[in-house]
Amino acid sequence: MYNAVVNELIGSLGLIKPELALLVTFVVVIIADLIFKNNKVNLGLSILGTIVSGIFLIGMSGTNTSAFANLIAVDPFSEFFKYLILISTLIVLVMSEFSEELHNRDVWMGEYYMLVLGMALGMFLLAGATNLIMIYLALETMSMSSYILSGYTKEIKRSSEASLKYVIFGSLSSGIMIYGMSILFGMTGSLDLYAIQSYLAANGFFQPAIFISGLMVIAGFAYKISAVPFHFWTPDVYEGSPITITAYLSVASKAAGFAVLVRFIKLTFFDAAGSSDESWIMMNSIPWDMVLAVLAVATMTLGNIVALWQSNVKRMLAYSSIAHAGYLLMGIVVMTNTGLMSILVYFFFYLLMNFGAFIVVMLFAHKIGSEEMDDYEGIGYQAPVLASLLTLFLVSLTGLPPTAGFIGKLVLFGAVLDSGWYWLAVIGVLNSVVSLYYYAKVVRNMWLRKVDNGKGTLKFSIQSQALVMVLGIPTLVFGLFFGPIMRWAEHSVRIFLGN
Amino acid sequence: MNWYNIVFYLFALIVLVSAAGVVFSRKMMYAAFSLLFTFFGVAGLYVLLNADFIAVTQIMVYIGGILILIIFGVMLTSKFTDLEIKSGTTGTVQYVLAGISTIIVAAALIIMYLNVDWVQNPVPELESTVKPIGILLMTKYFLAFQVAAILLLLAFIGAAKIARRK
Repeated sequence: MYNAVVNELIGSLGLIKPELALLVTFVVVIIADLIFKNNKVNLGLSILGTIVSGIFLIGMSGTNTSAFANLIAVDPFSEFFKYLILISTLIVLVMSEFSEELHNRDVWMGEYYMLVLGMALGMFLLAGATNLIMIYLALETMSMSSYILSGYTKEIKRSSEASLKYVIFGSLSSGIMIYGMSILFGMTGSLDLYAIQSYLAANGFFQPAIFISGLMVIAGFAYKISAVPFHFWTPDVYEGSPITITAYLSVASKAAGFAVLVRFIKLTFFDAAGSSDESWIMMNSIPWDMVLAVLAVATMTLGNIVALWQSNVKRMLAYSSIAHAGYLLMGIVVMTNTGLMSILVYFFFYLLMNFGAFIVVMLFAHKIGSEEMDDYEGIGYQAPVLASLLTLFLVSLTGLPPTAGFIGKLVLFGAVLDSGWYWLAVIGVLNSVVSLYYYAKVVRNMWLRKVDNGKGTLKFSIQSQALVMVLGIPTLVFGLFFGPIMRWAEHSVRIFLGN
Repeated sequence: MNWYNIVFYLFALIVLVSAAGVVFSRKMMYAAFSLLFTFFGVAGLYVLLNADFIAVTQIMVYIGGILILIIFGVMLTSKFTDLEIKSGTTGTVQYVLAGISTIIVAAALIIMYLNVDWVQNPVPELESTVKPIGILLMTKYFLAFQVAAILLLLAFIGAAKIARRK
């Protein structure tokens, strides 16, 4: 009686090989931790598993279907985000190896790798989820791991504080989100995004109800991408967490949040009949684009303006990541495939430059024992290589040529202008100008203050410098040769739209 | 008004009053015990909805597990038993703002509930919902079921990590 269903499930297993690879690694690390009790083994296994997952992902290239009775979609769009998540996971695993914060305190690291892998698994599922239950579970899997990781160095007071704040705000936003989902379910009688869409399309509805429930669900995602007004947790959590986790949260977790946000909006409120790739028409004439535009403007403006007052580099980067979420939201506002492509391109470059900046800040903190901007004075002459690279990352974050960040902003603002959102583009550009001030402040402190402070040069290991180079060189190269990334993103805008 | 409605309103009243008790009581213990009645009332509502499995789960997990744990936690850390719950700086401004936003949210929700065409599926005559739920978990929601297991494993690992001394 259930043979057909079981066969379909078995067939679906082949579509989630990358996820299965992560899951197996997760379990293997738990067991290996019990047997070997050796961090190096755990690290090696985690990296191996991530790479194997990546190989499976390459093998899945171009698949465009849904799996497990429409619980998740396996399409080029989710594939792009899965690559971003895997690259971030690899960088975080390697970066953790250099982190004195994690290693010098006699902290047992076994769970660290398990939680990072579990978080990656949650983000993988979130990138493809097309069912409200699945979205919720994947989001919680990701959040649960990140709550604990952000308090991993729990003997440091601000790390525990970060974790607790994250949990409290996180449960509140999950609560709002699941309330919104329950209203959507009550109106449509289905948890499946495709079914919800067709039900909404076929029936007349009390518009405010759709608006309110949609807004509540979006609030849950907005929390993950730290969009204003759901950003309250961001500065404290980013400042308090171990810096590896801060970097991970600011890139990978945000990527997964954007993936699910785009998919939810496109699948649920999208009018399949009246739309083309060039313009997505939303059903029921609810102005979702305007809602997102307001969110985008609030997010980037607040992020940038508050960043101006920060004296701690880690906290400044936290606000800067809020601002970047605002820029990225503009790509959804335009509701075209070009806009979507610009988000993907921007995200890829954002990954490189943001991780780069965080790693240099971490390495500096080991040597000078501080993340304060004032302590960076004259560091350019003590550690010329790393300081130059940090300058490169900050220039790229500002969006100036010849860096990758410039290309990202160019594509993004181009997409916004193309669809006629002139005022939004103007606000975006003005915001970029504001951001120049606080990024430049760090650069000025490094190179123009206390030129000869008499302190000797700082020594960094070859490996750690190489890691920063691995991020720095592409930041520069992709600023000039961005063709491949653009083409990759163009192929990846296809979202599986149902059978 | 038939018996069904009377029982429904009874349980609804229990939920509302005890939930207010959780929020407004100043003593931790009173809040914890009020929560007991809230969970119980919600379980009753589930029974009225023919959701027998969920109702039993509600009682076993929330009342039997979580709530007992909360109460034990409060009692074992004795200094909290009669600790007055205070919330930092609640001045008049905060009360007014919170009140206004609560009223707006409540009004929006009430208007919405009155105006929406809720999907009302005919209730099938079932002896028990356990079997259909089990089948769904192993077929349509197979992946979700497994992810829930991973989520719990992660929470378990995390709890062990946080509770450990070093």
